[in-house]
Amino acid sequence: MLMCRDLAEIASDYIDGELNGRQNLSVKMHLMMCKDCRTFIGNLRASSNLLSAHSSGKADEEFLRRIDERVAEALNARKIRGSDSE
Amino acid sequence: MDTAVHPESEASLIEELKRGDSTAYQKAVREYSPGMLAVARFYLDHSSAEEIVQDCWVTVIDAVQKFEGRSGLKTWLHRIVANRCKNRLRTANREVATDFSETLEPELANRFNSTGRWDLPPKLQFHESADTLMENGELSDCLDKHLSALPETQRSALMLYEAHQHKSDDVCNILDVSASNLRVLLHRARQKIFLMVETFQETGEC
Ligand SMILES: [Zn+2]
Repeated sequence: MLMCRDLAEIASDYIDGELNGRQNLSVKMHLMMCKDCRTFIGNLRASSNLLSAHSSGKADEEFLRRIDERVAEALNARKIRGSDSE
Repeated sequence: MDTAVHPESEASLIEELKRGDSTAYQKAVREYSPGMLAVARFYLDHSSAEEIVQDCWVTVIDAVQKFEGRSGLKTWLHRIVANRCKNRLRTANREVATDFSETLEPELANRFNSTGRWDLPPKLQFHESADTLMENGELSDCLDKHLSALPETQRSALMLYEAHQHKSDDVCNILDVSASNLRVLLHRARQKIFLMVETFQETGEC
């Protein structure tokens, strides 16, 4: 029988739909009977959603501007190379 | 907060990049650099990672001419970053060590009794939606703090899979980990975030 601890070990696989049919069924059965694990799964799923919602655009502006500068330099160099060969 | 580039606009962005349009580069740099940085941080310290991402953008100017769009632009960029990082590590002769043997965080594992039942079950339900939770600036800061404290392997797997919505195959490819190890990385990282949110909801402290 699947214990709470066993369920906790495979909880992410359950959330992501990575379990096989038999495992999936035993998790579902356990969840029907166990309120604590329902809360756990719900909260783990919420944690996962939290990360998706958390803005991934965290690179700081100064870093991005430095990239802009280097790209601009390289683009110019490329243009000069291009017009030389034409 | 969905800033993902749609397929049609990705195709036109690629065309603009091929033409060397500097506005298109600025747009792409903002769209893709955070993810590229996450990949680089899997391998390298912060300043080396930033350096690699900068260098990659310069090489993209030429490389994009040969880009055929078989993979998405994001996956392609992430692969370039990963390859550069691996090369640098190879020359530096440094290995990235990771422990995949434990699927449960010790702090969570301690909450079960010897029969495998909850000793200390989760008390509260995270009832608010993710978007509502993220409007809480303190929680958002707390999440940042915890994310930066994660082992680099877990953070990159998490960012690529959750925040950048890569498919598992792509993440395995980019990070050079097996599918089963990726599952462990993701699960360990999610548990840490779970524990963090729980503490935050209970105590209001990070
Ligand atoms: Zn249970």
